[in-house]
Amino acid sequence: MALAPTIDGKDAVGPRWPGLGAWGPALALVAVWLVLIAATGLYRPDFLSHQTLLAVTFTMSIVGVLAVAQALVAISGGFLDLSQPSGLILSGLVTVRLAEAGMPMPVLILGALATGAAWGLVNATIIVLAKLNPVIVTLATNFIGLAALFLLFQLAQVPRGTAIHEFGRTSLLGLPAIWWPMAALILVAGFFLPRTRVGRRAIAVGGNRQAARARGISLPRTRIAIFTLSGALVGLASVLFVASSGPFNPGSANFLQLNVIASVILAGVSLAGGRGNLWLLFPSVGFLSTIPTTLVFFGLASDWQLIFQGFILVFAVAFDGYRARRAP
Amino acid sequence: MGHKTYGAATSAGALAFGLVLGFGAPAAAQDDGFTLGMMVGGNPCCEWMKSQGDVARALAEARGWNYMELSNNNDPATALRNAQILVQEGADAAIQFNGQPSSNPAIAQVMNAAGVPIVTYDIAQEGMYFVGIDNLGAGIAGGEGLGALVRDEWDCNPDLVVSAEGAAAGIVNEWRTGGMRTGLRNICPEIPDERWVSFESQGDAAVGLPAARDLLAAHPEAVRIAVVGLNDGGVLSLIQAAEQLGRADEVMGWGQDGAFITGDNVNPALKGSVFYFLESYAVNAIRDVIEPIAAGDAPPVRWEAGDPASQVQGCPVTAEEPATVPDMEERVRLLLEAPAGTTAYDLFCPNR
Repeated sequence: MALAPTIDGKDAVGPRWPGLGAWGPALALVAVWLVLIAATGLYRPDFLSHQTLLAVTFTMSIVGVLAVAQALVAISGGFLDLSQPSGLILSGLVTVRLAEAGMPMPVLILGALATGAAWGLVNATIIVLAKLNPVIVTLATNFIGLAALFLLFQLAQVPRGTAIHEFGRTSLLGLPAIWWPMAALILVAGFFLPRTRVGRRAIAVGGNRQAARARGISLPRTRIAIFTLSGALVGLASVLFVASSGPFNPGSANFLQLNVIASVILAGVSLAGGRGNLWLLFPSVGFLSTIPTTLVFFGLASDWQLIFQGFILVFAVAFDGYRARRAP
Repeated sequence: MGHKTYGAATSAGALAFGLVLGFGAPAAAQDDGFTLGMMVGGNPCCEWMKSQGDVARALAEARGWNYMELSNNNDPATALRNAQILVQEGADAAIQFNGQPSSNPAIAQVMNAAGVPIVTYDIAQEGMYFVGIDNLGAGIAGGEGLGALVRDEWDCNPDLVVSAEGAAAGIVNEWRTGGMRTGLRNICPEIPDERWVSFESQGDAAVGLPAARDLLAAHPEAVRIAVVGLNDGGVLSLIQAAEQLGRADEVMGWGQDGAFITGDNVNPALKGSVFYFLESYAVNAIRDVIEPIAAGDAPPVRWEAGDPASQVQGCPVTAEEPATVPDMEERVRLLLEAPAGTTAYDLFCPNR
């Protein structure tokens, strides 16, 4: 399948590797992932089991959706949205309250999406109106959100036996039910980003703000649209989170942040904006979600995963910087 | 004795401010009279952290004392700064819950140098009055409770005994989880060593879930799984992981702290827990330490966990028993209505 260019005619999907074209990084990432799986399987044959598949895919589900939301912000030049943990917990709290009120699943999902979108809109409004750095704004709103959530509640969980509770514990075609929305989202978003007007505008604004403005693209409107859409996706992630995570508190989503950012960078999404293939999030999230499981099979404590993720993040950021310096 | 307390709204604002900015500030200058300073934990995880301050405030007000409350924001540096603020503001005595024990030695040094006696909850520190639960005893009691079930249901032959650790809690984690393993061994001494495994749950049901799934994936043959842990949240993370991997049919867990054993949403695999009634700690601290100090008859500083200034009793319960225990808000209300010196254990423990 050919990958679409931006409206500037530049490659919007990331670096090309000699002989492999734009799919080079994807193939390399998949290869590394497969080597990791094979090495662990050789050491412990019982690693290659359905239980491992479930463990890894459960972990992928929430991180994958958040990574799509984060990648959209990065590609559009917003660098990073550091308010995802608070946005997720806020949307999750709304979902829980709706579930406690006996609302059906579609209402829960709509409530979460709307809350997440509103959270993203608040971020975007502050960024656009005050003309502030998105990283600083989202860092601050995450801080404020965490404190405000603490005043609102200490613990929340969806009632046992409700549809959303079962959704977080059932399988579909041998994989967790919550994994499929993530997979579908990466597939659909990866297809439409370079092929739709709003997607191409986001890429254009992220790649070259002046050129985009010269073409009549509104930076504020694009930024508001992307942050709101990204917030809605955080709302979607919150549905998966409350369905599968049981009791949670205002700080329960903080641990996801590093994994999400590492996934986005490892997928080759440029933090400088303008480039990124959302489909690469699949092997990236999968690889990073497999690492902690393999560590346990190798007999290492799960704490080691943070060390590995930290090194991978450093490597990915260094590679992103190297690539940016070599870009024409 | 002068009577002045700082307004609830002002203190709540200061607490919120402290949570946001990472430091606390007293709400007003002190008045004449005995002043009690309280440093609450400030971790957003737990309802009881706020309740510990609420109860201390009510008890201080009832005695006509001034009351200052600061939030440690779950941070060692903030806790140390708060101790310095209490000294500057002229506190006559202080109580702290410090979830980050690394700053305890420095806090003790600051308070001792200023001659301000201080009570610390649950984590012992030389130079501070120790008030708290016997964590090791509570762990052993919980382990024996689970051991009885493992003996009755599985003939002391589980495939796996999982310990949900929370390393950040330091020695408290070792006492509780180690105590639970000891208690389980007391009942079922023949469980082979290779069946005892652990994972880092961080004491949080949601945060510990991925690591719990990984641990279960690495032990695919285990069917009968017994779970102990630092707290209910950690134990629950393993139970939920088993549900997600389709292996929850024969999982039995026993937690600590009673956070998830009450209400109508209790996981059926959580078979029991140990109530600490953390909101009630101020009753012990004020009754056994602060009141004598206010009366000019300071007790000797008993700082060791094995010889505490005041011991809080743990209350082991099976999953069926907590139905008689009110929720936190109601417990605080009833506690403050009870005669002076009455603890939550006295009022609510089904097995007292």
